[in-house]
Amino acid sequence: MQPNDQLSGSTRHRSRMIGTGIAIAVAVVLLIVGVGAGYVVGYYTHTSSSNSSSSTTIQLTETGSTLLYPLFKYYWFPNYTAPANGPTVILSADGTGSGAGQTGAIHSLVNIGASDAYLTNTSTNGVLNFPVAISAQYIYYNLPAPLNTVHLNLNGTILAMIYAGDITTWDNPLILAAQTAAVQSDLKAMSSETIIPFKRLDASGDTFLFTSICYESWSGFPFTASTSGLSGDTIPNIQSATGNGGMVTGMQKVPYSIGYIGISYATEAASAGLQYAAVGDNLSASASGGTDLANYILPSPTNISYDANLGLQRLDFSQYGLGVSLILGGSPSGAVDLGASPGGGGTNPTSTSPTPYPLVNLEYTIIKTSPTAGSAVVTSASLLATVQFEQWALSYGNFQSNGAGTVWLNAVGFLPLTPEVIGYDVQELATVST
Amino acid sequence: MALPSVSTGATPDDNILFDRSARTRWRIGFDRWAGRLLPFLFLVAILPILDVVYYISKSALPTLTLKVLTDTSYRDPDALGVPIITTAEMMTLATLLAILFGLFGGIATAEFLSERAAGWARTFANMLAGTPSVIVGYLGYFAFCLYFGWGYTMIAGVLTLSLFMTPYIFRIADLAFSSIPRHIREAALGSGARPYQYILKVGAPIAFPQILNGVFLAVAIGVGETAPIVLTTHGSVILPQSLLSPAQFLTATIWENFNSPFPVAVALALQAAFILLVVVVGLNIVVRIISARYRKRLEGLFQ
Amino acid sequence: MDDALARSEAAGPEPLPPPSSPSSPPTVDVPRPRRSPGQWLQIFVPYIPSFVPLAIVAAIVVTLVLVTGLAPLNGLFTSKFAPTPSSGPASWGILVFVTGSFLTAVPALFFSMVIGLGIAIASVVYLPRIVTRFLDPCVDLLAGIPSVVYGIWAYLYVSTYFGSTLNPFLFRNLSWIPGVGGPAPPLSGLGLPISVFILTLMALPITTLLIRDALRTVPRDLWESGLALGATRWEVTRRVSIPYGRGGILSAAFLGFGRAFGETVAVAMVINVEASYPHNIFQGTGTVASLMFSILDSAYGNSQFLAALCYMGLALLAITLTVNVAGRYFISKLSATEIAGL
Repeated sequence: MQPNDQLSGSTRHRSRMIGTGIAIAVAVVLLIVGVGAGYVVGYYTHTSSSNSSSSTTIQLTETGSTLLYPLFKYYWFPNYTAPANGPTVILSADGTGSGAGQTGAIHSLVNIGASDAYLTNTSTNGVLNFPVAISAQYIYYNLPAPLNTVHLNLNGTILAMIYAGDITTWDNPLILAAQTAAVQSDLKAMSSETIIPFKRLDASGDTFLFTSICYESWSGFPFTASTSGLSGDTIPNIQSATGNGGMVTGMQKVPYSIGYIGISYATEAASAGLQYAAVGDNLSASASGGTDLANYILPSPTNISYDANLGLQRLDFSQYGLGVSLILGGSPSGAVDLGASPGGGGTNPTSTSPTPYPLVNLEYTIIKTSPTAGSAVVTSASLLATVQFEQWALSYGNFQSNGAGTVWLNAVGFLPLTPEVIGYDVQELATVST
Repeated sequence: MALPSVSTGATPDDNILFDRSARTRWRIGFDRWAGRLLPFLFLVAILPILDVVYYISKSALPTLTLKVLTDTSYRDPDALGVPIITTAEMMTLATLLAILFGLFGGIATAEFLSERAAGWARTFANMLAGTPSVIVGYLGYFAFCLYFGWGYTMIAGVLTLSLFMTPYIFRIADLAFSSIPRHIREAALGSGARPYQYILKVGAPIAFPQILNGVFLAVAIGVGETAPIVLTTHGSVILPQSLLSPAQFLTATIWENFNSPFPVAVALALQAAFILLVVVVGLNIVVRIISARYRKRLEGLFQ
Repeated sequence: MDDALARSEAAGPEPLPPPSSPSSPPTVDVPRPRRSPGQWLQIFVPYIPSFVPLAIVAAIVVTLVLVTGLAPLNGLFTSKFAPTPSSGPASWGILVFVTGSFLTAVPALFFSMVIGLGIAIASVVYLPRIVTRFLDPCVDLLAGIPSVVYGIWAYLYVSTYFGSTLNPFLFRNLSWIPGVGGPAPPLSGLGLPISVFILTLMALPITTLLIRDALRTVPRDLWESGLALGATRWEVTRRVSIPYGRGGILSAAFLGFGRAFGETVAVAMVINVEASYPHNIFQGTGTVASLMFSILDSAYGNSQFLAALCYMGLALLAITLTVNVAGRYFISKLSATEIAGL
C-alpha cells in the first residue's frame, strides 16, 4: 500500500491546496494579531511611561540643523543643568539638516527641532519658531595659492549665476569686475579653471539662506528659496554634500570648488585650506554694476550685528511670530514672504549699520506648544523640561554671568540675541502649555 | 638491450615539451601559467581585508585608551563607553527576540512541515534574508516610529534589528535539525518519543552547537547593521533608561561622524570602527572554530 | 487517532452493503479518519512559527504599499527626480536611481564573478589542500566585515588614491570610450568607480564561495577521467567542471548581484549621492538603496516624497527578492551547510 493512499488524487490535491490556503491565512492572522498587539503594547508602554517619567532622568532629543549642531553637542548640552528641584535632564544632539529638524518637531519625533530656516505655518502645526542665537553663513572656496590667502569679492548675483550654470569659470568677467586689480590678475592667471559648486543634498537651512540671497539678488535665478531649493540643480559640475561637515570635507578634496558653509565650521574650514569671501551687501551693486569695492563686506561680529539690527527692524511679531529673514538686511515686503518681488528690495546700509554682512540669520529651535497625545516623546514632563532648557538657553546659554555663555557662542562664531528678540521669545514661551 | 645514453633532456625522447605539437605545448604551458598566476588573485581578496584592518587599527589604536572605552559621563561625550554598552544591551535584546521569532520556525520547518510547505517556508526565509537592510529600516520607521507612536526609540531599533536577524537563525535551526542523522531520529521516534520529547532531549543537544553558531553569526551580522538603526533610533549621550529612550548604537556613531570636519569626531568614528571590527572578526573566527569542531563531532554520529 | 480506531473496532466491522447488480463491482465504504481538534491543532500549529518570515515580508510590503497609498505620482517612470522644482509640478522619476543601481551593481557583479571564478579555480584545482584550508576562510572573512567599516575605510583612505591616481589615469587614457570623457573626475575620488570597487569587494566572498562549492561537487572520477584522456587541468576545469557546476555558478551570479544591488550604507558613504544621471562614469549618482537611506530625513513631512520613496522601495524589494529566489533555486546541488551563513 502506498502512503497517502486514503485520499484519491484530486481530493489529495484539493486538501493540499486547502492546507496551503490555511497556512497563508494563519500567516495573515499572525500579521494582524502582531500589529494589533504591537499597537496595544505601544499604547500602554507610553502612557505608563508618561506617568512615571518624572522619576529620575528625562532625556530630550534634538535633531536638525548642522549649523547649530556644534553649539549644542560640544557646548550647551554637556553643560546644561536642569533646575535643582526637578529631575535631571540630559539632551542628545543629532545633525541631520534643518528640514529633518522641522519635520521631526512637527511630527513629535524629537523634542527640539533645530533649524536655520523658520517655519511659516507654525499655528497649523502646533509649533513655535524659537530663536536661540544669531549666526551667519560664509561663502567658501578652495583655490590654490596665491588666492587661498585672499578674500574674493562676491555678491548674490554672481553666486546665483554660478549655481544656475551661467558662470562656469573663475576668470569670468563678472567675477573679475568685482575684484581688486591684484586679485584680477591672479584670477586671470588661472586660465579658465572650471568652478565646481557644492550644494547640500539634505534639506538644509543653509540652502535656504543661500537660495534666499540668490533669489533676492537675481531675477533670473531658476530655483526657489527653500531648504531643498537646489535639489533640482543639475548643472554639469555641481557636487553634493551632506551636512555642513560634509561640505567642508568635500570641498577640501576638490580644488576650484565653491560652497556655502555655516559659521560654526569656520575653524575647521580654515584648517581644511578653504577661504571665505566678502559678500556684497547692496542689491544695487548687482553683477552689472557691482564694482564698488566698498560694498563688499567681510564677516565679523560687528558686521553681523549690523545686518541683524537692520533685519530685525522688519520683524512683525504679531503677524509672523519670530520668523524673519535677515538676509541682505531683511526681505523687502515683510518678515516671512520672500516670494514677493525677487530681485528687488534688500538693504542699503544706514548710518547706524554702515557695513552689514548680508548672510545672517536667526538660529531657531522648533518646539511643540502642547504635549502630543499618544506620543512617547513629547509628553507633559518632557515639554516642561524643554521649556526650561529654552529659558536656560536665553539666559545662561547666551549671557552667562561669568561669561561662559559668551565663550560658548564665540567658539562657534554666533552672536547673542538682542534684548528685543529675547523679550519676544519669553512671550512665546508663555504660550506653551504643559 | 643497451640502455640509452644519458641525455641532457634536450632531445625529443626525454622532454615531454619537445615531444608534442606546438598546440600541445601551448596547452600545457597555458595550464602551468594559469596555475602560477591564478593564485595571485587571492591577493585581490586578501589585501583589502588586511588594508582595512591595518588602516583602522593604525588610526584608532594610538588614541584608544581605557577611558575612551569605558567613560560613560555625558558631560564629556567623546568616548565610546555609552555606545559599547548600549550596543551590547540592544544586541542582547535583539538576539533574544530573533531567537524567539526564528528558532521555533526553523525547528517546525525541519520537523513538522511537509516537504512542499517546508520548501515554501524556506523560500520565504531566504526572501527575508535577502531583503536590503534599508527596507527593513523603512518598515521599522513607518510601523514602529510613526504608526505605533514610539518615535526614535530603542525599542523600535531593537525590534527592527531582530526582524532583520530572524531569517539567519531560522535557516540555521532548520538546517541543524534537518541534518540530524535519520537513524537517530527514527530511533527516537520509533522508541515512542513524542515530537516535543524528541526535539528537547535528542535533537537539541545534537543541534545545539550549530544553533549556537547561527546565533553568533546573526549577532555578527546584526552588530554591523547601520540602516535599520539610524532610521529608527535617535542617538544619545547616556545609556538608555528604558525601552522608550534614545540609544546610541556603535554603527550610528560611525555614520554620524565619518564625514565630520572636527578631528575629534572622525577619531571617534575610527575608534568605533575598530571596536566593531574586533567584535565582528572575533565572532566570525569563533563561528569558524565551532563549525570545524562541529563537523568533527558530527562525523562520529554517522557510524 | 487511537480513540477513533478503538471506537470503530468496538462497534464491530461495518456491514457490507448488498451487491447492487452482478455487473457492478462491490464497493467498500472505507471510513474517513476523523481527527480530533487536538490533532488538527497539532498539524497546523507548526505552520505558525514557520511562516513568521512570510509575515515579516508581508508586513514590509503592506507597510510600503500603505505609505504610497498607491498614489499615481507625477512622472513616476520618468528619469526626472525633482521634489521641489522652481516651476511646474514635482516630478518623481525613480528611473534615475534604478539605473544608478544597475550602473554600480552590474560592473561589480562582472568583476566579482571574474575574480571569484579565478580564485575558486585556483583554490580547487591548482593550490594544495593545506594552502586552501588556510586561504579560503580568509576570503570568506570579507563577507563578515560590516558595510560601515568598508565605507569609512573607503571614504577616508581609498578615495584619496582614487582621486589622485586612478581616476585621472582612467580619464586621461580612456576618454575615447563614450561615458568616460566629459567633465573631469572629481579629485575627491568619490563617485562611481569607488562604489563599484566597494561592491565588488562585498559581492566577492559570495561568488567565490558558491563557485568554489560548485566546482568541488564535481565527482572525482569525472575529473580524473578527463585528466586521463590527456587534458590539462585547465581544460578539464573549463570543459567538465564548469559545465557540471553551472547551476552553482549561475546562483553565484544571482546572489552576488542581489548583494551588490541592495547594498545601502557603504554606497551612501562613497557615491556622492546625486539625484540625476551622471555626466560620465566619474560622477556620483544615486542608487535606490543609498538614496532611500540618505534622503528619508528630507522627506518627512511630504507625503508625495514618502510615497515616491516607498515606490522605490517596492521596486528594490521586487528586484532583490526575484534575484535571490532565482539564485537559491539554482543551488539545489550544493551542500546546504556551506551557504547557511550567507
